[in-house]
Amino acid sequence: MKVSLNHLKRYVDIPVSVEELCEKMPLAGFEIESVERQGAGISRVVAAKILKVKPHEDSDHLQVCLMDVGESEPVQIVTGAQNIAEGDFVPAALNDSYLPDGTHIVSGKLRGVESHGMLCSGEELGLTEADYEGAGVHGILILKGEPKPGTDIKEVLGFDDTVIDFSITSNRPDAGCFLGIAKEISVVLGTEFHAPEISYKTVGGDIGDYIGVSVENADLCPRYMGRMVKNLRIKESPEWMKKAIIAGGMRPINNIVDITNFVMLETGQPMHAFNYNDLADKKIIVRNAREGEKIVTLDGNEFNLTTDMLVIADGERPSCLAGIMGGKESEIEDDTTDLFLECAKFRRDNVRHTAHALGIHTESCARFEKGVDIKNVEYAMERALSLIYELDAGDIIDGAADVRGELPEDRVITTTTGKVLELVGVDVPKDTMVSILNKLGLKTELDGDKMTVRVPSLRDDVEGSADLAEEIMRIYGYSHIKGKPMRGDVIRGKKLPEREKSDKIKALLTASGLREIATYSFISPAAADVLNLAEDDPRRNMIRIINPLGDEYSALRTQLLWSMLSVISTNVSRKVEAGRFFEISKRFFAELPLKAQPAEIPTLSLGIFGKDEDFFALKGIIEALMKLCGAHTEYKRSSEPYLHPGRQAAVYANNTLAGTFGEVHPAVADKFGIDMRVYVAEIKLDVLYAINKRKLVYKPLPKFPAVERDFALICDIDTPVGDLERAISAGAGRMLEKIELFDIYTGSQIPEGKKSVAFSVWLRSSEATLSEEQIETLCARIIEKLEKAGGTLRK
Amino acid sequence: MKEKLEAILQAARQAAEQAPDEKQIEEIRVKYLGKKGELTALLKQMGSLSPEERPKMGQLVNDAKARVEAVINARKERLKSAAVELKLKAETLDITLPEKRVNVGGLHPLSIVTNDLIDIFQSMGFDVLDGPEVETDYYNFECLNVPADHPARDMQDTFYLADKILLRTQTSAAQIRTMETRKPPIRIICPGRVFRADEVDATHSPVFHQLEGLVVDKGVTMCDLMGVLEQFAHEIYGEDVKVRFRPSFFPFTEPSVEVDVSCTECGGKGCRVCKGEGWIEILGAGMVHPNVLRSCGIDPDVYTGFAFGIGIDRITTTRYKISDIRLLFENDKRFLEQF
Repeated sequence: MKVSLNHLKRYVDIPVSVEELCEKMPLAGFEIESVERQGAGISRVVAAKILKVKPHEDSDHLQVCLMDVGESEPVQIVTGAQNIAEGDFVPAALNDSYLPDGTHIVSGKLRGVESHGMLCSGEELGLTEADYEGAGVHGILILKGEPKPGTDIKEVLGFDDTVIDFSITSNRPDAGCFLGIAKEISVVLGTEFHAPEISYKTVGGDIGDYIGVSVENADLCPRYMGRMVKNLRIKESPEWMKKAIIAGGMRPINNIVDITNFVMLETGQPMHAFNYNDLADKKIIVRNAREGEKIVTLDGNEFNLTTDMLVIADGERPSCLAGIMGGKESEIEDDTTDLFLECAKFRRDNVRHTAHALGIHTESCARFEKGVDIKNVEYAMERALSLIYELDAGDIIDGAADVRGELPEDRVITTTTGKVLELVGVDVPKDTMVSILNKLGLKTELDGDKMTVRVPSLRDDVEGSADLAEEIMRIYGYSHIKGKPMRGDVIRGKKLPEREKSDKIKALLTASGLREIATYSFISPAAADVLNLAEDDPRRNMIRIINPLGDEYSALRTQLLWSMLSVISTNVSRKVEAGRFFEISKRFFAELPLKAQPAEIPTLSLGIFGKDEDFFALKGIIEALMKLCGAHTEYKRSSEPYLHPGRQAAVYANNTLAGTFGEVHPAVADKFGIDMRVYVAEIKLDVLYAINKRKLVYKPLPKFPAVERDFALICDIDTPVGDLERAISAGAGRMLEKIELFDIYTGSQIPEGKKSVAFSVWLRSSEATLSEEQIETLCARIIEKLEKAGGTLRK
Repeated sequence: MKEKLEAILQAARQAAEQAPDEKQIEEIRVKYLGKKGELTALLKQMGSLSPEERPKMGQLVNDAKARVEAVINARKERLKSAAVELKLKAETLDITLPEKRVNVGGLHPLSIVTNDLIDIFQSMGFDVLDGPEVETDYYNFECLNVPADHPARDMQDTFYLADKILLRTQTSAAQIRTMETRKPPIRIICPGRVFRADEVDATHSPVFHQLEGLVVDKGVTMCDLMGVLEQFAHEIYGEDVKVRFRPSFFPFTEPSVEVDVSCTECGGKGCRVCKGEGWIEILGAGMVHPNVLRSCGIDPDVYTGFAFGIGIDRITTTRYKISDIRLLFENDKRFLEQF
């Protein structure tokens, strides 16, 4: 909320510097968004009198002026402006002066004639017509009156003001107005607060003779007040009011409109002025809009209304969107003679919905949305009438329309000083507590430890002891709070088992040279097509965001692969030649349309690329991962549509499908602009988390020697090596120590359609050295099993 | 014979000491000590000596053999070590040549910071929990004292997935889930991913990360909150930083505070980083609102608590002086490799 410091001083004494004020207010809960000093950046610009003007000998548009700038000798300044005459008082920027836009003025020559400064226009001083009469004209600003030459121009223009923008938290709408913030300042600085005086005279008559006011929907409009003002004398508002309105971020229009806006800025209560003579049937009806009704608002836009929107209608049609904007039809114009003045409380959620639905945002609806005080309605109306009287803007008719139910009682909080202080842990003296609350308008009585606090409706946010604690502390000072070390039973916190496991997985992956990446949880729904997912693939059922930032971020991901490939694509396009990435994040699955929270599946995604990488490098990472998690692993052929049909596999952990991996299908890689082989995996971590790893127990080192036997086999070219390994394993039984594949060969000496496969097999017994006889038996069994699996020993 | 022995001994010593390599040493050994060697030959000639002289002479010859043996061995050792020295010298490397790369991976900077935070709070006895990223209106707003028409909802732009189902805007939702399932004393943190409909720019991301903390017990005060946050601030920002509370507003805490630390760049004097204020805002916190406690079945007349929410991304960008938050989600390998 922006407010003029000069104007604030009408309500509260501020005997401190702007800096000090801006340091203290945030510590009481009001952050400072900005501080604008009027005339900031202007230096060595003074009021000057034009003594003499003569044409420049070498130019047909320049003039040479002799200026009285308050110094002993006159100063010569050349100007291009034509709107000046001898005897005028104008702003003169002297040698070595600065203008608000940073321009530095120094002495120089203009077409050979010395000029020791510059005469300024309103614009050059950062002024508009609203700031100073004549500031908007093209040419030099002619000053009013006869300011003493040499006087600082900021003083002459009344540029002594500072506009401070206070940030008001949403629980304190009461502070979001001139009076509200002034009250806060008075409490923070401990100075006097002066409420504006309210007094006016009426001219008789009775409002009932002029207009009938009714409220059809009291739920949406708990209070509606109206007054009549006749014989309007519409003119310009006084300077002080215009300045306050401009500082507040609005535009002065005429005295009537300005009064409604000023009262809103001052009290936080929006008002609306209707042209009485435009109200059909002399009726004001607060009702819901009817089917098919329309309104043209003050800004000239036409809106189709729906029946959930509240309007102020006359006898025929909507004349105002309640709390949001008035209608063009009943606008106050220069020749308007009679006025119906509205001051009301509308329910905040209804104003909010209507404003959002119609896409309108006004100062008025901003205040209604935050909530206005039902009792403040009357105060604001009184204040407006007082200003109408003071500015002689019209004749006030007796009587007020005031449609409302019972006004709410003030909330009374009964608590104890102990209860209030137990939250803060600071021993605030009791009388200090009481005095702070009273200064804040929370009428507090103390009886021993018992506190009774009467909360005015304006401070609806104060509900109980916790709120009282906050009110006391923000004035008493949070600097009184001294930190205490954490106390309680001495324990180290525990992580969830899932996090323990994912930490270990991350440690393994980083040790294996993988870099962790972080990508958004939402992706483009087009990802399903990019990955060639089948029509019935469950990964196509992506949960959609109703209000996404854009289509590309509109679907919750059902796979992490698309993000991984996007990251690899970015890197490849930036000439990164190789990389190993992983991400652990969630995938979301639910039945659509969404009725409940979806399943969130913790998932690991892997992606490797570069000349040293291949399918088996990825398989190695997966195997290490499975081993870490204590899984018995099996690999089977898989058929992911986005992977190379011959270079992909599904990995099973303890007979449960844990994921798939392989080389990315070249056509898919191509869609990502990746022109090299890329290997990816997606592993369901919920499957790995569920494995109960056996407790690790040390195995004694072998006491007896191992024997190594090589087996060279011939088998069909498509016999999986894994089958042969399983056969060896079955044949050797528990004497098997390890199998190593050392050769696969096709070509000369091997028949067409066959391949040669060679293994080294280590056999060892933990009980004794294997005898020749035992070894022979084991080898025979291995060969027998191998033959069953399709491998015959090479002779 | 004695003279002969002396002469052989002299010759053998000389030969051994001058032998240029191991091969010749071996030849010298054969020449003097071998089966047909000169000293062996002397022993064979002993038959011509008197029985009295024989043992004496035998002794002398054996002594000589031992001495020749020792000389030969010494020479052999010297030659060996000289050869090793020579070999080592020849093997001298240019140690400035590039190393064989060990490809170590690494965690994302957000994970590094998250782990640091977890460590700090775990050591203070906080359990580390997780919550769902897709939340209901009830847990994300209503239970946190933000009713449907409350203007505080405007403070957060929420991504909606369906009526009353949304992407959580704050990890605070975890507070409620915790208090529903655990009984005081409660001391938990919940780090996680949160979402807000912010347009992407250098300081805003629609996906970011928070760490929620919650303590509920008998007699918990703002001094305890300050103590915990001071501990956190000292570990993250340095032992010297000061911590201050500034009143603020969050619907689910009362009193609510913004927490500032003295600027780590200028130490509080005022600089570009702290915009001349000397303080940097780091997190929001407060005493758990009695309404929130009540809606979780905890009696606010018996228990009090505090909660805080830390922006993990903010700490990350501040710590590493990352000027643009988008870098965190772009995952350029050359960026990631710096951590």
